[in-house]
Amino acid sequence: MTPTPRRPASRGEQSPVAYGLSRLRRRSLVRLLIWSVPEMLPAALIGIAVAHAVDDGFLLGRTGVGLAWLAAVMAASLVGALGSRQVLRCLSDFAEPLRDDLVRRVVTAALRHGVAGRPDDGAVARLTRQVEVVRDTYAGLILAARAFLTSLIGTAAGLVSLAPILLALIVPLVAVGFLAFLATLPLAAQRLRESVYADEELATATGTVLTGARDVIACGAQDPVLTMIAEPVERQAAAERALAAPAMLRTACFAIAGWAPLIVVLAAGPWLVARGLTAGEIMGGLTYVLFGLQPAVSKLMSGLGGSGLRFLVTLKRILDVTNADPPAPPPAGSGDGLELRRVTFAYGPHSEPVLHDLDLVVAPGEHLAVIGPSGIGKSTLAAILCGLLTPGSGSVRHGGGCMLIPQEAYVFGGTLRENLSYLRPAATDGEIRAAAEAVGARDLLSRLGGLDALVVPGRLSAGERQLIALARSYLSSAPIAILDEATCHLDPEAECLAEQAFAAQGRTLIVIAHRVSSALRAPRVLVLDGTHALAADHATLAASSALYRELLGHWTAPGKAGSDPARLLGEPDGFDPRAGTRLRQHPGQMIANGAVAEKQLGPDIASR
Amino acid sequence: MTHFAEIVRKGRGWLTLMAICSLASAGVTLALPAVLGSAIDAIVSGGEVERALIIATALIALAVATDLAEAAAGVACVAGTTAWLRLRTVRHLLSLSAPTVARFETGDLVSRVSGNAVDAAQAGTSLAVTAVGVLAPLGSLILLALIDVWIALAFLAGVWLVAMVLRAFTRRTTAVALGYQKAQGAIATGLTEALAGIRTIAAAATAEQEERRILRSVPELSAHGRRLWTVLARTSAQATVVGPVVLVAVLAVGGFALTQGRITPGELFAASRYAVLGAGLGGLTGVLGALARARAGTNRLAEVFTRPSTAYGAATLPTSASGTLRFRQVSVKSLLHNVDLTLPGGASVAVVGRSGSGKSVLAELAARLRDPDSGAVLLDGIPLPELTHHELRRAIGCAFERPHLIGGTVGEAIALGRDPASAIQAARSVQAHSFVIRLPSGYQTPLAQTPMSGGERQRLGLARAWHAERLLVLDDATSSLDMVTEMKIAQALLEDDGRTRLIVTHRVPTAARADLVVWLEEGRVQAIAPHHLLWPDPRYRAVLQPETP
Repeated sequence: MTPTPRRPASRGEQSPVAYGLSRLRRRSLVRLLIWSVPEMLPAALIGIAVAHAVDDGFLLGRTGVGLAWLAAVMAASLVGALGSRQVLRCLSDFAEPLRDDLVRRVVTAALRHGVAGRPDDGAVARLTRQVEVVRDTYAGLILAARAFLTSLIGTAAGLVSLAPILLALIVPLVAVGFLAFLATLPLAAQRLRESVYADEELATATGTVLTGARDVIACGAQDPVLTMIAEPVERQAAAERALAAPAMLRTACFAIAGWAPLIVVLAAGPWLVARGLTAGEIMGGLTYVLFGLQPAVSKLMSGLGGSGLRFLVTLKRILDVTNADPPAPPPAGSGDGLELRRVTFAYGPHSEPVLHDLDLVVAPGEHLAVIGPSGIGKSTLAAILCGLLTPGSGSVRHGGGCMLIPQEAYVFGGTLRENLSYLRPAATDGEIRAAAEAVGARDLLSRLGGLDALVVPGRLSAGERQLIALARSYLSSAPIAILDEATCHLDPEAECLAEQAFAAQGRTLIVIAHRVSSALRAPRVLVLDGTHALAADHATLAASSALYRELLGHWTAPGKAGSDPARLLGEPDGFDPRAGTRLRQHPGQMIANGAVAEKQLGPDIASR
Repeated sequence: MTHFAEIVRKGRGWLTLMAICSLASAGVTLALPAVLGSAIDAIVSGGEVERALIIATALIALAVATDLAEAAAGVACVAGTTAWLRLRTVRHLLSLSAPTVARFETGDLVSRVSGNAVDAAQAGTSLAVTAVGVLAPLGSLILLALIDVWIALAFLAGVWLVAMVLRAFTRRTTAVALGYQKAQGAIATGLTEALAGIRTIAAAATAEQEERRILRSVPELSAHGRRLWTVLARTSAQATVVGPVVLVAVLAVGGFALTQGRITPGELFAASRYAVLGAGLGGLTGVLGALARARAGTNRLAEVFTRPSTAYGAATLPTSASGTLRFRQVSVKSLLHNVDLTLPGGASVAVVGRSGSGKSVLAELAARLRDPDSGAVLLDGIPLPELTHHELRRAIGCAFERPHLIGGTVGEAIALGRDPASAIQAARSVQAHSFVIRLPSGYQTPLAQTPMSGGERQRLGLARAWHAERLLVLDDATSSLDMVTEMKIAQALLEDDGRTRLIVTHRVPTAARADLVVWLEEGRVQAIAPHHLLWPDPRYRAVLQPETP
């Protein structure tokens, strides 16, 4: 199977602002602005209506005229309401495509990072929480900016028709206050970002400590752990306190843009009256300031200072992760043999190499087992063989058709058929059933309710998930199969059945062994002990590998170190002494007696 | 106990300032429309404008000043109280017995510490905010009624309409939001599954296929999202009508009053302003909501604080003795019954039994992770609760099947508050050194960047407990190790190093190599004997058989 060509993940470095603006489609924007026009009507009319209702109506005792003006406000409000209904509908044209795009980005990036071996723990939280925050704040931001504009234009239009002089008094103050507010935004964004990071850090630290509460108690480590927690707690409190400054600056700016015009209009009152302005006109002007301008400025400031900043900070986090470089696609190969030449691999520049000058040739159709302590590099070797990791030095020549079946079996929510034909979508039901039968998953198949049954991964046991992964891999046409402890949750008999099924297919089989029995089934074994790597048949290993000898001795003849093995073997340990002795003397012969040895070894080796 | 009142008291310095500011701010809010009204009247009648102007300016200045002070005081109060509550909660949690903590879900505890603590810390500020939230609208209503009773009635009718609309909104959105969350959940589940199987996906190069599979619910999510906007659009359109309805109602009734000369133009202006402020009553549910959240947060923390802390004594262990562990008539309700056992000092003792037979409880008692309901556990003759905390943890070490590692780096996680140099020694003893030095920065590798298998984790957990001076308790602590490591650790563990070792196990070789085997059945000791004497019993052999998956 050749790796499919990958789409480039990088869409260039994009700032949150640029991204947000790029998502404003022109057609939707025009629609939004057109529907905003009706909303300006009540904003523009309110002051004029109040002025005329008072001057021409109520003050002259003409109640009907006053009510007529008020009725006009009502009518304008109805029209405005129709407009705002359409405006909110338009918002879905902005918010929904943005969310869809972000969901795609997050999912794609999470998979890609995972594939590159850099798993992203926060991906699911990013999907369910951060994306939603961005969607809501994006819509809120558009709404606030638009509401500010319509109120401002409406108010300005009203003021112009009522008394243009009032406009001249108000506009400079609003402009100064608003510009001052804009100047505070970078500081506010910075502080908010710090507080978000402090929050996350605290949640992580608390999570770690509380998950391990039992361990902390058992180690009596309460005091050092509390010191560990106290740091992020204090940092978070400091970040929280630091948010007060931008909030206070915002209040000050609002005082200039929202309150100062009121005082100015009042102070100019006598002068305006002297110039012929009526009581109603002054009331109308004040109405514009208090009912139109103040709420609009307040909404915009809280919109930009609240939603706007949350939008920027959250979106930046998403873009930072999803804009990261795409991992290099694994090199393709061909054939069904494997060859490593002087391969060295280390996880860091200063760490001990996991593999050192490893030479390994696996012939097509060969069955090789790998044994060694965990953490010594077996899974790393598997990843290198499959091309998932690139060695620091040395060369790897491998067939492109290399299939890795890891310990943690992948089963997804879908039908059993989808799960089993995952690596060979064109497989017929008959082929699928045959594969399930071959690896010993037939009972599981019927228990789950056939190929059309929906699989809920959480309801399967680890062993059942491994059976599904094995059947799926058996069905694949990849010429090389690497079982990386892929049968560790099965019992020894089931493991034997599955391994033999793979071996009988004639494909190249590499088994990273979890049990001695599965090493004994392979004609050739690679022993990794941290210092040496030795691949040979059982007889050679028994002669030259201390670790191999130790291992067989330990797992086939439990007894006290230094005591007489023969005595112990004859005693009730549950082992046939002859089998044990034979194993010690001629481990190589055990291949032929695989099934026998396995039965004997069953109880302890299988126990976990 | 952490009560609402106690939290309020904790922040009282800042709260006093906040309360003063809030009261002043409510006063200003209520006084301003009246002052503006009289200013309008003065302007219209050509009277004394300056006085009203100065008062109005002063009031506005005061409002801005109190807003500033309130913001600063509120933030300082909440930040300080939150930090205090968080540390107190974590400290208390760590002072409980292990099973008591385990009764809480970890996610639940984290949300208590990170979320509920913030809510609870707002106990004081939410009181102040509520006071203002109630005072301003109520005061507005009273002042409105003082200007003209009919205006007040017209206003109330308008507010009732607002309330009706808001109720309808909550009902409709919940139904649509549910569909949205379901579609979102489907995508999240798909991603979670794929990330768990990422090695398979990487090896099979099926990432694109996965992408398509996970994202196939996006159109559905989009459809639900659009429906949400439609509902929102409908209700918010209604809300935009209702606002002016209240205002127009007040202005119409006030206009009549103006015609009849009952009120002045300034009073009409003030009335319209009070109507807007009074409409804040609709927002009162939000204010009361904050108070309710603070209460709920406090209660959630109180649930933690009602659990009693573990008490420690003042005794130390006799220097001459060597780790003899004695269970004297120990019972734990429905888990262990009258267990009477003595583990000789320096012996290795395997504990075997089916799952649910009480092995883990026995281990927890030995390490004093819990206390028995009756009976006593004694180490070298001293009951465990009589020992000081330090003495207890120095003498006893405990390793688990699934250890949780805590610390910035791998080295810190092993040392956990002890001398970092000891970590390397301990790691060597339990076969962890060889894999730690292969990590990108060895012992300095950040724990968060160290993906570990279950077996590697277990080895670090063992290393962490290795310091124990008299008793080492291993609760299935080597179950995930591969065959080679298990063998090597078994050798280190079972050679006589002077410490008593209590090893819960399922494995035959471990039981066979131990000095003694304690066989538990349904919370009772079935037998205590060396392995080879027990082996002929088929029931014993059955206990050590693997459970088929």
